[in-house]
Amino acid sequence: MAPEKGKKAINRLQSMYPLRAKVNETYLKSIEAIQAGKPAVWAMLNFYYGDPILKAMDIEVVYPENYGAIAAATGVARQFLDRADAEGFPTHLCGYSLTTLGYASRMMKDLKGQIPPEAPLGGMPKPLFLLSSAAICDARYKWFQALGRYMDVPVWTLESPTPGIKEFFMEGYYERMVKLGVQHLRDFVAFVEQMVGRKMDWDKLEETANLMIEVNRVWHEVNELRKVRPCPMHSRDFWSAMPAALFLAGDLQDSLKLYLDMYKEVKGRVDSHTGAIAEEKYRVVFAELPPWHSLGFFDKLAERGWNFVVESFGYHPPIPIDLSKVSDPLERITRFSLQFFAGYYQDALKQRVLGGTSAYPYLKYAREWKCDGALLHPLISCRSASTHLPYVSDMLMHQLKVPSLIVEGDIVDLRLFNPDDALARAEPFEETMEHYRKMRKEARFDW
Amino acid sequence: MSDKNKGLSRAREIYLNRSQRARELKAAGRRIIGYPCVYVPVEMLTALDIVPFQTCGEMKEPISEASRVLPSSFCPVMRSCLDCALKGKHDFLDGMATIHSSDPQEKTARIWQSYTNYPYFHFIDMPITVRPEALEYFRNQLSDFGKTLGAFAGRNLSTSNLAAAIRSHNRQRGLVRELFELTKSSPPRISGTEIVQVVRALTSLPVLEGNDLSAEVIAEVRSRTNGPERKSGRLLIWGSTVDDAEVMQVLEANANVVVNESCGGLRAYRGEVKLGNDLLGGLASYYLREITCARTFRQAVLGETKKDYARDLQSRFGYLQRMIKEWRINGVIMLLVRYCDPFAFEMPSLKDYLDSLGIPSTYIEYDYTAGSLAPLRTRVEAFVETLG
Amino acid sequence: MPIRGKAVMYFAGVDIGSTMTKVVMIGEAGDVVSAIKGPTGPEYRRLANEVMQRALEQARLDIEQVSYIVATGYGRLKVPFADRQITELSCHARGVSSLFPTVRTAIDIGGQDAKCMKIRDGKLVTFVMNDKCAAGTGRFLEVTAATLNIKLEDMGELSLKATKKIQISNLCTIFAQQEVVALLSRGERVEDILAGLHEALASRVAALARRLNIEPDLVLTGGVAKNIGIVRAMKENLGCEILVPDEPLLTGALGAALLAREAYMKATASGEKLPTKQRRLERATFFG
Repeated sequence: MAPEKGKKAINRLQSMYPLRAKVNETYLKSIEAIQAGKPAVWAMLNFYYGDPILKAMDIEVVYPENYGAIAAATGVARQFLDRADAEGFPTHLCGYSLTTLGYASRMMKDLKGQIPPEAPLGGMPKPLFLLSSAAICDARYKWFQALGRYMDVPVWTLESPTPGIKEFFMEGYYERMVKLGVQHLRDFVAFVEQMVGRKMDWDKLEETANLMIEVNRVWHEVNELRKVRPCPMHSRDFWSAMPAALFLAGDLQDSLKLYLDMYKEVKGRVDSHTGAIAEEKYRVVFAELPPWHSLGFFDKLAERGWNFVVESFGYHPPIPIDLSKVSDPLERITRFSLQFFAGYYQDALKQRVLGGTSAYPYLKYAREWKCDGALLHPLISCRSASTHLPYVSDMLMHQLKVPSLIVEGDIVDLRLFNPDDALARAEPFEETMEHYRKMRKEARFDW
Repeated sequence: MSDKNKGLSRAREIYLNRSQRARELKAAGRRIIGYPCVYVPVEMLTALDIVPFQTCGEMKEPISEASRVLPSSFCPVMRSCLDCALKGKHDFLDGMATIHSSDPQEKTARIWQSYTNYPYFHFIDMPITVRPEALEYFRNQLSDFGKTLGAFAGRNLSTSNLAAAIRSHNRQRGLVRELFELTKSSPPRISGTEIVQVVRALTSLPVLEGNDLSAEVIAEVRSRTNGPERKSGRLLIWGSTVDDAEVMQVLEANANVVVNESCGGLRAYRGEVKLGNDLLGGLASYYLREITCARTFRQAVLGETKKDYARDLQSRFGYLQRMIKEWRINGVIMLLVRYCDPFAFEMPSLKDYLDSLGIPSTYIEYDYTAGSLAPLRTRVEAFVETLG
Repeated sequence: MPIRGKAVMYFAGVDIGSTMTKVVMIGEAGDVVSAIKGPTGPEYRRLANEVMQRALEQARLDIEQVSYIVATGYGRLKVPFADRQITELSCHARGVSSLFPTVRTAIDIGGQDAKCMKIRDGKLVTFVMNDKCAAGTGRFLEVTAATLNIKLEDMGELSLKATKKIQISNLCTIFAQQEVVALLSRGERVEDILAGLHEALASRVAALARRLNIEPDLVLTGGVAKNIGIVRAMKENLGCEILVPDEPLLTGALGAALLAREAYMKATASGEKLPTKQRRLERATFFG
């Protein structure tokens, strides 16, 4: 059903715009600050664990994973990928890592540490140190180690315990994870202090940690509101609004206010039964990383009545946890970060869905957000965002009779995503979703 | 199993029919637990009278079952391993002990647990660094592993039994090191293929039987006169898992493979677990620190605030320098499976290190299928030809 | 021309590629006495003896007069009359060096694979290969020529007549085919599309080559080297001069023959006995 002339297919939240703008502003401010001499650190997304430390120490953080997406979208990635290839890195490796390795080679070997002029949006400056994370995949800590070929800067690798779902509930297991996390973080603080030549402001860290937790709590509540029919907020708004919470962009007090505004707006839509699209025919869950360069694709699907109601577990805030009795900010940070991974474990164990942290949430999403189908987007060079998808598809069908549509792509070779081809498969998939709606009804599911 | 069959010929026989002994033992009432990675401390299984059995992939078996649940862009070794499991090839197992040594190991373990229904299943988490808190965490992981094992075996893991098991497995390590001593000569007294078969056999047998087999092999190799032919190329193979005899045959068609630095060769046998007051601590320390797999993040100085690439390389790869000297290696093949991330990131740095030592090296990638042997052959032969 | 009646030594190199088998025979002075190309045929090893026979006829020799035979290429392993097998990488390096003594980098683009070799003093030092992906090989041109309904041999010349830059965005041969169809239906000129396809192939091969430290002189061989459009595109991609031999398909077999001669001379000088095969030409059997 085509929207009215001049009207967009997706009814974007007004409160999304300032959150999205904030990330861009923060990015540009950061570049200015670095140019003015502030220390910069290259970091992996570390799920609320290392970032609060860096923020409290007033260090500018550059995320090569994000820069990889920018390089891909602006068409600059190819030359860095070719460079990494020429440097001997196997081509199957994560596209973002190859982009960064190629970039580093160019910056250090050709330009003696100066930012390459062809690098879009100010590029990435030579960092003071590298902060990698063992969370989610092997590439995310081996890659920064490999950068040592070009840059003699120290690397700190943040540990990220990954418990088994059953094992997690053994006596004392969780406490031992917390103990590792707290001690490790304490050592990391000492490392950062040495690197920047300044002591940690513990009050500031406390404030940062608390704000981080509160911002994410509000953000979590915003997403809980999306469970109703019609869903008031589309995945596009989620992806636009989430970086501020996930990457702790800019002033956290300001972010808190913006997320509270968003909560108000979404609640308003819930009360007035306003959906994110004109006619919600299909409620769809999306996994895992969106095609950043082709988000207009979702507008086309919205015209067909596809409302994307929940998405991307990897980007979602942790399920809120009561940390009021935890006085040590390092422990609070540790427990909050662990909560991102293990928050679903109890549920997963009950449902006997043991196929990994990244997979179980989709069962919960499909059930609680009442999804008719799943759109799964495996990325050829990002295995950590793709490995769980066959299992997710199997689990959703097997347990909930929710069908999945697979649409392939990549994080850096953007040609691999074919939106026309994907749209051509939308219609037959709609029939599939309708069929399984009937199946679920017969099986007494409540959606 | 013919009891006339001893030494190398027995190893070959077991290599071709790996699960036969385990099945016999199972029928005789023993409990068998599988493990997909050499990082699992098998001493703990032995100590509880459980037979450890390494579940390996099978290169020549086309994947069918695993493609339902694991994408094709995934470690082909683990995919094959899971495929075999889903096809029921490990149906004699009482359970699996899995470990977070790499992503594919972790992800496969979850899927494995979801799609099978063994009486026993445990996932051991592993840290990435060798920092003190990481070691302590790993030690605790092993302690938890011991608890679930004990519950399964119906008794606690006793100190004396664990100490005895560690001694037996240390002895096995020593015997495998002795086997590799026999490749120092020119020509080597035992071939790379024969060692692959022996190591595979060891991971399919209870430790004491494996030790007897190793001793037989050593004696046989020492006394025989028809060992491998002398070739001018003396190669070290570096990789994640080089445990397939046909691959090894390709590698040593025109050269002598004298060191197999992978999990199908020397890697898991190079050191010894220290026996002290804290046995679990000794195990944690050995497995996390001593096994030189690319998955562990090592630095020249823990938490270093100054970095020097040459020093970093020396700290990560220095052990190879001694090996190259003692075994008189004149070429290194870095043999990687496609989609193996830790080794792929590691490889260019290793090449830098080998270049600094003046040792010729080449990187060859294969996809762990039967079709990969011919392209592998061309590259190996061409490399050996460059060694003169 | 061989001198009949004198006990001159001859050596042969047999290069069994996936599409073409090449045989080069040389005398002990290193002079080429025959050079033959023939189709390898579906069961590739079976027709090698026929090509060998033709080479012997051209040189007016009998097989008993050949002192040493080296086989190379894809099908090198099962040639019953070959005394030794050496990889095409070493053979190309040797062959190219004899034609261009100053060569440091050689690139061979065959029907099914592409090879890049670093050479020092006539010997292979290091190499990279692509034999998995059709996009960086002659196959890419074959497939796209068929799609455009033009002859493979005309592609190069036509591509030089391009007036517009078209970028083929698909790396995969199958998808590139689809893209060609789409471009045609959009009204793009065949010459411009061809230039785009040549650029795509050249950039793939250049990316492979850059894994080695490219040094001049650079020589291009293989069937695809006869394509002037590729030569130009490679020059542009690599930013250096490219030398192409008169017979770019024969460098492997030439190198094999030279290596045969070297091995034989070396063994003779040191008194070593070189094992040789029975001098009898028969069809290579699949299972033999």
